[in-house]
Amino acid sequence: MAKDLSKDEHSRKALSYSKFYGGKVGTTPKVPVRSLDDFSIWYTPGVAAVSLAVQADPESSFDYTGRWNTIAVVSDGSRVLGLGNVGPESSLPVMEGKALIYNYLGGVNAFALPVRVKDEEHLIDVVKALEPSLGGVNLEDIESPKCFEVLDRLRAEMRIPVWHDDQQGTAGVSLAGLYNALELTGRRIEDSKIVLFGSGAANVAAARLFMEAGADAKEILVVDRKGILHPERDDIDQLSVKNKWKYELALTTNGDKVTGGLSEALKGADVLIAAAGVGPDLVKKEQVASMNRRAIVFLMANPIPEMWPDDAIAAGAEVVATGRSDYPNQVNNSLLFPAIFRGALDARSRTITDTMVIAAAKELARHVRDKGLTRNHILPTMTEWEVYPQVAAAVADAAVREGHARRELTRDEFLKTAMEMIQRSRMTMDALTRSGVIAEPPEQG
Amino acid sequence: MDRVSIRRAAKEDVAAVADLVVRLKRLNNEFDPLFNVVNDARERAERYVSDSLGAKSALLIVATQGEKVIAFLRGEIRERLFYDPHMEGHITDMYVLPEFRRKQLGHDILQQGSDALIKMGAEIIVCELPTRNDIGFQFYSKRGFRRFAETFAHVPG
Repeated sequence: MAKDLSKDEHSRKALSYSKFYGGKVGTTPKVPVRSLDDFSIWYTPGVAAVSLAVQADPESSFDYTGRWNTIAVVSDGSRVLGLGNVGPESSLPVMEGKALIYNYLGGVNAFALPVRVKDEEHLIDVVKALEPSLGGVNLEDIESPKCFEVLDRLRAEMRIPVWHDDQQGTAGVSLAGLYNALELTGRRIEDSKIVLFGSGAANVAAARLFMEAGADAKEILVVDRKGILHPERDDIDQLSVKNKWKYELALTTNGDKVTGGLSEALKGADVLIAAAGVGPDLVKKEQVASMNRRAIVFLMANPIPEMWPDDAIAAGAEVVATGRSDYPNQVNNSLLFPAIFRGALDARSRTITDTMVIAAAKELARHVRDKGLTRNHILPTMTEWEVYPQVAAAVADAAVREGHARRELTRDEFLKTAMEMIQRSRMTMDALTRSGVIAEPPEQG
Repeated sequence: MDRVSIRRAAKEDVAAVADLVVRLKRLNNEFDPLFNVVNDARERAERYVSDSLGAKSALLIVATQGEKVIAFLRGEIRERLFYDPHMEGHITDMYVLPEFRRKQLGHDILQQGSDALIKMGAEIIVCELPTRNDIGFQFYSKRGFRRFAETFAHVPG
């Protein structure tokens, strides 16, 4: 039975406004139509010359068409928000919302594209078939562990960037916050004992990214419902078949082969990254108290974190972050994904590597340090819009350095481009709103 | 850490190898319900291992670290009545404990097992895997094995 959300004010407005506007994003022309004669340029017969030019050099589709700035937000609807497998149609409002954020914060021409597919092979085939039209793909709300296979395969087999925000976005923002939390508490990632509580898309990706960023695999412990991952766990062979990514972590992490659950994992740990599910009692005060002095605790479940931040601080945590906007240090994917794609698209990058994500995380962290790093300010907020072009430039620059860019500019040039693109998008929306093309929402909501 | 060594299995290894046999059969069950493991699998495994130790046509080797059995391979010589090569060394079971995987141990035990089967008269080395065991396929493919037969199953009713 559909959940009744109408009691919630945001939900009520979302239902009312969505119906009023008939969706959140649409396609608007980029070229002038001075008279009907212009269609002889934009369409036939003139357009044939452009087609032939692209046929001669398919890469020129990035110059002659909107491909260079266009991404699809693709979902099979198998794990939408906290709602579960609601199907592709039900995921459409969410994907439209994501596309809107891409447009507004990143100047990216993103559109929602939920697809009906029968399995992961079908999803991979469908997304690959879209490549000629797109500059990139944002995968969204795909269930675990399917999402790992889909992302890994598409990253390997496509020549445009493919991004799964539930994995890389959350991991990237977590890394940015972690960099600053480590700085504040006088630690280095290489020497820190990190406990990842929860083994869904976000934390599996975090483990992989943290290791790429220099964390010692042997000092990482991953804890799931059955306890700490280690090679001799009863279900290890089952994992090798059903979730090879967790299996990989079981073989490579936890050098001391610690067994048990979260309590055993947290003894003497420096960092806890919890993405385990709705709290507030999943992490106990005594467990945080057993961590090292000046512990770093990220509690990312929404709407109720794995423990209340105040309890974590009372138990001795020095730096606490959550997924919520009403507490300090929100680990918010929206800080990263618009800028990641802005940078990747500006460089016409063929992929988004972990190195590019790490560059983005470092830039996010640097932005905060420049403004003033405190235990309550380890990550920027979405209102600090200047961070987006800065991160975009760092990403584009990394793409050039790694040899994945089709378009090589200097970092300053990328910064200027990103600023213009993002400003243009915001100006367009402001102009459309001021002129009434985008109407004010209905008074009653 | 103790060195890993590979040797022929002995009577004192029976219990440890039987445990690994059960682990292997349970792993197979992950690939297909037709590999559903019976309740008394542990007892059967112990008999299976003991019988293998006494059989002339069977091979049982183990890898150990210190006292601990960390991997095993069981094979047997089978006659291919109508075909050349005529004698096959058939690897029926092979299992490496997870924490010892990706350290060449699988490669080494397969190599030593194959060599021993050849000495017993094998002209080709053959192994069987559940159809969906992709990791197993990759392992054997990298070592020069290729698919040459398929098994089909139908459960009547």
